[in-house]
Amino acid sequence: MISESLALGKRSLTKWTRNPFAVIVTSLQALFWLALFGNSFNPANAFPATAAGSLGPLQQAFGGASTYITFLTPGVISIVALTGMSFMGVDLVFDRINGYLDVLRAFPIPRVTIYFGGVIQNVAKGMVAAPITFLIALLVPDGLKLAQGFGVLNLLGIFGTIALLTTVFSTFFTGIAISVKSTDSFFAAVNFLTFPIMFTSTAFFPLSFFPGWMKPIAQANPISLASDAMRLLVVNGTLSPAQVSAFIRDWAGLSIFGLVFALLGIAMARNALRAK
Amino acid sequence: MRKIIDVKGLTKTFQPSARVVDGVSFAVEEGEIFSLLGPNGAGKTTTIRMLTTLTSISGGEASVVGRNVTKEPSAVRELIGVVPQEVTLDNELRGAENLLLAAKLHHVPTSLAHKRAEELLRLVELGESGSNRVSTYSGGMKRRLQLVTALIHDPKVLFLDEPTVGLDIQTRTRIWEYIKQLNREQGLTILMTTHYLEEADQLSDIVAIMDHGTIKVSGSPADLKESLHGDVLTVSVNDGGEDLTAFLRSVPNVTEVTRTEDSYRLKLPRVESALPAIIMSIASRNLRITETSFSKPTLDQVFLEVTGRSMRDAQEGNGNGRTDSYAAAHRSETK
Repeated sequence: MISESLALGKRSLTKWTRNPFAVIVTSLQALFWLALFGNSFNPANAFPATAAGSLGPLQQAFGGASTYITFLTPGVISIVALTGMSFMGVDLVFDRINGYLDVLRAFPIPRVTIYFGGVIQNVAKGMVAAPITFLIALLVPDGLKLAQGFGVLNLLGIFGTIALLTTVFSTFFTGIAISVKSTDSFFAAVNFLTFPIMFTSTAFFPLSFFPGWMKPIAQANPISLASDAMRLLVVNGTLSPAQVSAFIRDWAGLSIFGLVFALLGIAMARNALRAK
Repeated sequence: MRKIIDVKGLTKTFQPSARVVDGVSFAVEEGEIFSLLGPNGAGKTTTIRMLTTLTSISGGEASVVGRNVTKEPSAVRELIGVVPQEVTLDNELRGAENLLLAAKLHHVPTSLAHKRAEELLRLVELGESGSNRVSTYSGGMKRRLQLVTALIHDPKVLFLDEPTVGLDIQTRTRIWEYIKQLNREQGLTILMTTHYLEEADQLSDIVAIMDHGTIKVSGSPADLKESLHGDVLTVSVNDGGEDLTAFLRSVPNVTEVTRTEDSYRLKLPRVESALPAIIMSIASRNLRITETSFSKPTLDQVFLEVTGRSMRDAQEGNGNGRTDSYAAAHRSETK
């Protein structure tokens, strides 16, 4: 089942790489988030007397990040993962409409392989976009400032977090893509879900900015878990034992989401692909 | 010859109560080309979808290459190739890449897959186009590629759902040639659906005429046509007013004679074999034949005989394209 899933994943990736427009647009989403959102909503704008881009007295509230872009970058990486994973499943909707899904259903493979193929290609695309986001954040003026001690382990931790987060969203949205019958239904479902997920997370602002009733929701949000885990690595460089524990908690949370969504996605795929 | 496909009382009911296939039974023997012929909405595609494990069976049972379709769907899928009615290739992949993906999903070893892909592309005259993206192919090229994509794993049975629908006559004829070649040279058993009378007549060993979800009659095209009591020979004789009806009825192989104003209409099994005897019999009475013409029965006449309407009327009644009851039910199922 693994080699067949990889073959189906490769099919989508081959098509994606042959469409430079799609690759560029996917990869450059981050530029708009960082350049536009990062500047217009930058709390540092309220403190013009401080050094360029510095969060000044708000630095502590923003987890110790010296600039808003430093705080925002892990959030934007997570948001790009969310928007990318949510819409990339549309390939499967088109496969259903074009009849290609029936062709795949006629192959002697477990039908859930089609679902795994979709998940794999989404995660791979997400893993291409993430380093580009990271690089853009470093190049933006007053942008990402890496802490002293930031090294290969921090980088691996960040990419591990992205892999977990893309898996969480890919398993979830691929399940939706394989179940809906039309593009209208798919886009309606994606739009309905992505905005609440995005704006109940700590991608843009720290937890202390949320009203009390929203804090538990924001804390449990996968975007928050991923953003907070990456911030620990970006802002602190070397982690204290308490920060390591917080990092592990975030990863555990993401892993649970990934597992639950994968089981849910498999159930949705089985139901959608069985003979009726 | 062993039965490769065995279908008994196959039924499909789509909710709430559309019985699209109603107790269909037939058998296909090894190496045979078997056609389900009927207008849109007859239940042909649903039958093929049940046999290829794409649609569940509501009643009856079916086996393909000895494997039960309901109980062993994966084993069935290992042994069959399926060519759906719509062109369902990946347009953004190259021709050869479509074949190699199919090979991978059929567990064909990579080295063998490349060899098979090359052979199959050559077979359908796409050897030089295999490295081009499918989006650059013409409709006919896509159909040819789709046909061989279903053959990459060397299946025992090939299911073709309306293999030439929407194609021009030249492309259709070429597809027929490939189908005949595959059957003749590789002994491939083929079950196809069609609403083209000529296609069923030209390609099939056995034709089953379907209408309203049931098989009305089946047999070889020749037998089905002969069941209408053969060809019709019209003979004008300079008989000087004499009635030759009884005399002509006594000629061997003539089964029915009708006298019209200026000619005789003879029914006979095969006009080619009976004609010399008829000519000689008439000549033996010193009579002169002034005009002859003959017509052979068609599958459309068979369809008319068993359903009470012609294929053309049935087609127009149900609409063209996929507006049949199957399509309506299928849309609600999969889209």
